[in-house]
Amino acid sequence: MAIINQATKELQIKIVYYGPALCGKTTNLVQVHSNVQTNTPEGKGKLVSLATSSDRTLFFDFLPIEAMAIKGFKTKFQLYTVPGQVIYNTTRQLVLRGVDGIVFVADSQYDKMAENVESFGNLEDNLKSLKLNLADIPYVLQYNKRDVADAAPMDYLEYLLNNREVQVPSFGACAHKCDGVFETLNMITRLLLHKYINESGRKVA
Amino acid sequence: MAALPQLIEEDIDQLNAVLSDLLTQSEAAGGLVIDKGGFLITQCGALQSFDTTTLAALSAAAYAATQTIAGLVSETNFSCVYQQGEQHSVLIQNVDENCLLLVIFKASASVGAVKYFAAPAILKAAEQLRIAERRDPSAKLDLSTLNVADTSSLFRKRVA
Repeated sequence: MAIINQATKELQIKIVYYGPALCGKTTNLVQVHSNVQTNTPEGKGKLVSLATSSDRTLFFDFLPIEAMAIKGFKTKFQLYTVPGQVIYNTTRQLVLRGVDGIVFVADSQYDKMAENVESFGNLEDNLKSLKLNLADIPYVLQYNKRDVADAAPMDYLEYLLNNREVQVPSFGACAHKCDGVFETLNMITRLLLHKYINESGRKVA
Repeated sequence: MAALPQLIEEDIDQLNAVLSDLLTQSEAAGGLVIDKGGFLITQCGALQSFDTTTLAALSAAAYAATQTIAGLVSETNFSCVYQQGEQHSVLIQNVDENCLLLVIFKASASVGAVKYFAAPAILKAAEQLRIAERRDPSAKLDLSTLNVADTSSLFRKRVA
């Protein structure tokens, strides 16, 4: 849950990058960390990766980052990834705790479609285990690896993953080239801030 | 899952006072109140050399993992996580449904003493969080002062 600290005028928000194994979740965070422009060096924290010796995410990646100042408010975002492999489902549930917004990263390769769909279903199941509902949480879709030879058409990915009553924003991306990475991040932060502003008349933290 | 109450200056002051008393009594280096989602709420002590944002995130994860282990071995609750180091030791204790207390202290200090002084500190911190929860909702932060039109480029890609 987002934390609003009135004493320090800080808003802290947790965003989780979710998706199947090897879809590019960690690459998104690496690119944000490498390329983000911050006003001060402190605005960008260290990228912490709890990974195996073969660089596969074991627990999560974590990147704390401050957005450009918004009217004097310090808006801190904490970006997390989950491990994509099926065996780490308990770990994914732990990382989802307190989530405010989700970026679902799908792999555009044709032969990964079943994994994309399974991972999306797994996300919904894990949220339910935390008594959360995906429909209540701002999320965006990123169709990564658009530059591979066997990339499925965007329309097909939309049909598979964004075929709901309310469609969410989606972006094509080549995360390893940083294409689409910031567009995705800015959209989820925008959705989140809209949500909290709309809820400011009610309980917001 | 219950949400953390909004915190106003009075809450943070009280939590800081609780931490300050704890550090004085236990001679610990630093104390942090953190949210179980990984957010740092407030901190006190000589923590300049530590990355407290990351400490908070990792501590919340470690505590959550420990709770899951507790479930696997049919324990209803492991209320704390303790790691003894060569220079510093770390104690993570449950405060309430939403929060944790993290204490960093010299490895030469007794964890028993830290736990002894942490117990009343936890009760006071939990009470303050309950007060925050019961407070008049008019004390909320007015987020409408955020300029939504400016949020489209919150994060900018550095120009090469």
